[in-house]
Amino acid sequence: MNLGISALQYVNSIKNGDFTVEEFIEKSFERIKEIDDKLHAFLSFNDIALEKAKGIDRQISSNQKVGQCFGMPISVKDNMCVEGTKTTCASKVLENFVSPYTGTAVSRLDAEDAIIIGKTNLDEFAMGLSTEFSAYGPSKNPWNIDYVPGGSSGGSAVSVSANECIASLGSDTGGSIRNPASFCSIVGLKPTYGLVSRFGLVSYANSLDQIGPMTKTVKDSAFLLNIISGVDHNDNTTIDNKNQDYLKNIDAGIAGKKIGIVTEMTNPDGLSTGVLNATNDAIKKFEDLGANCEQVSLGMSKYAVAAYYTITSTEAGSNLARYDNIRYGYEFDSSGFEFNSYISQARSKLGPEVVRRMIVGGFVPSAGHAGKYFLKALKVKSKLITEINHIFKKFDYLISPTVPIQPFKFGEKINDPVSFMLVDFNTVTANLTGIPAISVPFKIEDGLPIGIQIMANHMDEHSLLQAAYALEKTVSLPEVEI
Amino acid sequence: MKKLVNEEEIIQVAKLMKIELADYKVHIKKVQKMLEYFDILDEANIESEDLIVQETDVDKLRDDKHIIYDKKLLKFLKNYQETYVKAPKLS
Repeated sequence: MNLGISALQYVNSIKNGDFTVEEFIEKSFERIKEIDDKLHAFLSFNDIALEKAKGIDRQISSNQKVGQCFGMPISVKDNMCVEGTKTTCASKVLENFVSPYTGTAVSRLDAEDAIIIGKTNLDEFAMGLSTEFSAYGPSKNPWNIDYVPGGSSGGSAVSVSANECIASLGSDTGGSIRNPASFCSIVGLKPTYGLVSRFGLVSYANSLDQIGPMTKTVKDSAFLLNIISGVDHNDNTTIDNKNQDYLKNIDAGIAGKKIGIVTEMTNPDGLSTGVLNATNDAIKKFEDLGANCEQVSLGMSKYAVAAYYTITSTEAGSNLARYDNIRYGYEFDSSGFEFNSYISQARSKLGPEVVRRMIVGGFVPSAGHAGKYFLKALKVKSKLITEINHIFKKFDYLISPTVPIQPFKFGEKINDPVSFMLVDFNTVTANLTGIPAISVPFKIEDGLPIGIQIMANHMDEHSLLQAAYALEKTVSLPEVEI
Repeated sequence: MKKLVNEEEIIQVAKLMKIELADYKVHIKKVQKMLEYFDILDEANIESEDLIVQETDVDKLRDDKHIIYDKKLLKFLKNYQETYVKAPKLS
């Protein structure tokens, strides 16, 4: 049995009776048992997955209606609530927190008979881009375990890349789906802000957070987006997409489309040689497909990383205020403690990166400093939106490498916060402006993956997926050997 | 290097954020480096820029109805007594 098949291939195989759901889930768990000690993609597993698989097999054999996922194993980043299971956010503070309800995106997959096989590793509270900040230890890149898998949805990317499951749900605040997708050679889609409900997603910076699919193919991302997108009365920011079918005409091609190559994101000074060469190759492929590519400047993107970290730290400082260990938390008796002293003691379990962002988040919006930092960051965001709206009047897509560099070794950047932040340079713009963006696996150079990022206008996922599919069809990449 | 934030300010912010810092010195250098990088915002020429604010009409908000939650949420808490959340005493 080939565990490396796509979601759509899986559905066809189940329909054809090539194997049962139970057999596939069993094999997936065997694969996890065999390799996850080495990769550490998962933080917890679903104990009733096999039971659910048997139930779906019974439905199939008795010709009952079965949801369109047909029991496919899907992993979920451990910052999304699934009722009755632990949701740790890779933090010691939430070590034993059990979700009392299931978030909307996961519920919608469950309603279509996906099997949530387990919860995946991340940087603590999704703050990071390598999983090195997980309180439970980092995940490893299946292409070379000495290198980071990207983050913060690193565990999700590893689980898909290493064929431990068919697909995963990640969350993306500044690149947390696209960065690990690029580093692990899978497809990662950050939808338009509001296209997928955030109900049940533990907030990091809720004006930018967005849930999206992480898959083996572009078609699989379209398939999952069909299921998880749309209005949800539990999230007032959600948008009605009129039940758009993102798979329809996905092979329409991009002949005649106008593509902007973002000058600031393809600057040779900021890219590694391998990434620069891959980007030039991708541009050539787009031109061969009949698209018109030309350089376009997005002036505000130069300030996007600073604006992004200012805004997200401020929102994180506010969002993390709820972790007082009174309503959520771990075993820590409050007897004998004064209120503030108890909360401070309880928060000593937060990891160093979360603490730093809370300090920055307390500092930049404070009286005397807000004008210098927070207000300017909001204005950069506004001007960036104006620039993007202007550019999309002329172009259909914007492209860049997803990440300016290839995966780096563990510990290589962890002590240099600026170098670390700049890894996000190409991805944060889509979050600050709310537009959709996708990372498509494009090349394996020196044994490590490189992804290409395509961005489109608000709510233009349909067209975005067509471009991504067109690019995907031009490349043939090796399977990961692990 | 220009001192963007000093030890006293970090201690004060940490106190306001209710964070116990065992060793605040380990955070100072990194926080300073981050803030130093944020200085790039001064070059952005956005003084005259208006803020884009996302507005939602009140009639588009969901109805403010009381929905009875049928699960016993208190059982998820570590500290509770009868139907009350148990918290440390306020000074």
